[in-house]
Amino acid sequence: MIRRVAFNLFAWGIVLAVAFPLFWMLVTSVKPQFELFRRPPTFLPETWTLEHYIRLIQDTPFLTYFKNSIILSTATTLVVVAISTLGAYSLVRFKYRGRESLAFLVLFTYLLPSVVLIIPLYLMLVSMGLSNTIFSLVIAYTTFALPYALWLLRSFMAGIPEDLESAALVDGASRMGAFVDVILPQLLPGIISTALFTFILSWNEYLYALVLVNSDSARPLTTGVMNMLVSSFNIEWSLLMAASVMMSVPLIIVFAFLQSYLTRGFGAGGVKG
Amino acid sequence: MAAVNFDKVVKSFGAFTAVHGLDLAIDEGEFVSLLGPSGCGKTTTLRMLAGLEFPTSGEISIGDRVVNDLAPGERDIAMVFQSYALYPHMTVAQNIAYPLKKRGVPKSERGAMVQKTAELLQLTELLSRKPRQLSGGQQQRVALGRALVRDPKVFLLDEPLSNLDAKLRGYMRVELVELHRRLGRTMVYVTHDQLEAMTMSDRIAVMEGGRLQQFAPPTEVYRAPANRFVAGFIGTPAMNLIDGEIRQSGGTWQFHAPGLTLDCPPLLDSARPGPACLGIRPEGVVFGSGPIEGVVQVVEQTGHENIVVARIGADMRLTGRVGAERVWQAGETVRCGIDIDRAHIFAAGAAGERLNRPGLRPVEAPAVIKAAR
Repeated sequence: MIRRVAFNLFAWGIVLAVAFPLFWMLVTSVKPQFELFRRPPTFLPETWTLEHYIRLIQDTPFLTYFKNSIILSTATTLVVVAISTLGAYSLVRFKYRGRESLAFLVLFTYLLPSVVLIIPLYLMLVSMGLSNTIFSLVIAYTTFALPYALWLLRSFMAGIPEDLESAALVDGASRMGAFVDVILPQLLPGIISTALFTFILSWNEYLYALVLVNSDSARPLTTGVMNMLVSSFNIEWSLLMAASVMMSVPLIIVFAFLQSYLTRGFGAGGVKG
Repeated sequence: MAAVNFDKVVKSFGAFTAVHGLDLAIDEGEFVSLLGPSGCGKTTTLRMLAGLEFPTSGEISIGDRVVNDLAPGERDIAMVFQSYALYPHMTVAQNIAYPLKKRGVPKSERGAMVQKTAELLQLTELLSRKPRQLSGGQQQRVALGRALVRDPKVFLLDEPLSNLDAKLRGYMRVELVELHRRLGRTMVYVTHDQLEAMTMSDRIAVMEGGRLQQFAPPTEVYRAPANRFVAGFIGTPAMNLIDGEIRQSGGTWQFHAPGLTLDCPPLLDSARPGPACLGIRPEGVVFGSGPIEGVVQVVEQTGHENIVVARIGADMRLTGRVGAERVWQAGETVRCGIDIDRAHIFAAGAAGERLNRPGLRPVEAPAVIKAAR
């Protein structure tokens, strides 16, 4: 009994520790400017206001950054999912020399710190005339999301019985037909996990965005918000918090939708053999 | 014409050869079992016929058509998998309709065809369910339905009953035979269960080590096994195999083993004196009288008969099938004999071929073979 209570207290302690910054972010974003630095600080705002949000949307390029981030993350996710699904299929189903070593080589690239790759990638993108575009970031994020995505989907793919595909082939489907009709629906939970991973990664990425993109029209949220609100002399805390809230919202929405799908998907896979 | 023909078919995976030069001619409408232990190449053979594996060399034909280079979907076959391989995200009706859909049968006709198949297999109530909501036997019937819905030339069945419980398996065996009789289609059935092969097939192809050992009707495989492997593999309890040698003195052949000398059954002209193996089925062993003395070691009572294992000499064992009226006790001394007219002589070695002439004496129908499990 005591152990259970202790365990519960411990668990709630962790939850609070994790949730408090989020709570503070939310609270700060709706406090009026004069209340922000009052001592002692108010826990809940005395006056609620949405002025920071309105300022953010009307007076700053926040929406441009937001749009860039959406385009960037969605494009990266689509590219990564498309390539890694087909790649995982090839790694699992086709037999060719060096298949295993290829898979490990791919994983190896994931182990390199991304800082090491940034200069060569930058030079490459410049010589391709892609620097300072959203597309350059799509390429950069794809390079480091892909290895992990490939491995994730590879294990999902390996869990799909080969008989299913054989059955579809015998039933008259082409290889591509069997892939679309039978493999893809089975792979859906894996595809969702991969998409989630890739989307979050490209949504939150900072370093590459900082180095590869310098024009305001192509900046994503991460660097855009920092650039606009954090200067050497001043940090616009209230705006920063409002921006942070709005940055988190899409992720929370995506997660909330897909999470139920994820858990449902995991159970749906197998027919016992 | 939908005969199936394998002509010198070889299948290698890298350095490993799974099937060695298989020649097999299956007649139209025949029910043929590919029988053998795990890894004998039977499933590879079936998958080559399905087009899921491609032969390294040799030719496979279905009817008049060489199918080596045809995709599975172009071969006009249907296959039932051991795992059933039902599409988990589709309903039973969608599963059954899938082969029709892939072959461009108009949607309006599909419904009626699915309905007809479902009625045949008593699946009508289950059409809107997903595979995971079905029992093993129901899943099996859906898999069968998916194969039946489109009247293919050849049915391929890869151990379709092995995931069912014993009672259902017995029921489905009868159903399948009935189905075969009604459809009159060629069926190729892979199994490691000799009971299934013996009870269902027109002919059995016994395979081992990627080679065809014997291709004959069940009774012939049982009564006149082509070699020592088939002799030992078919039949439960297994045939007694006694290593010794054959000698010729005057015009008669004798079999010698430690503590045992017997006149041989009539041998082929090709027989030569030397190491050999005597095979005798448990029903050919006589307990209670005879020239051999042994000690009863194990008695298995099955109700209608007893299986008695006796130790002869130092390291020889003899299994006999005897009536249930006399109860033998372990440790009891027993005299036993071998009905030489039912004995087989095989050349030495694991796959030594038969040296005695087959079928010289009509043998009564083989006793009921007990289920392997």
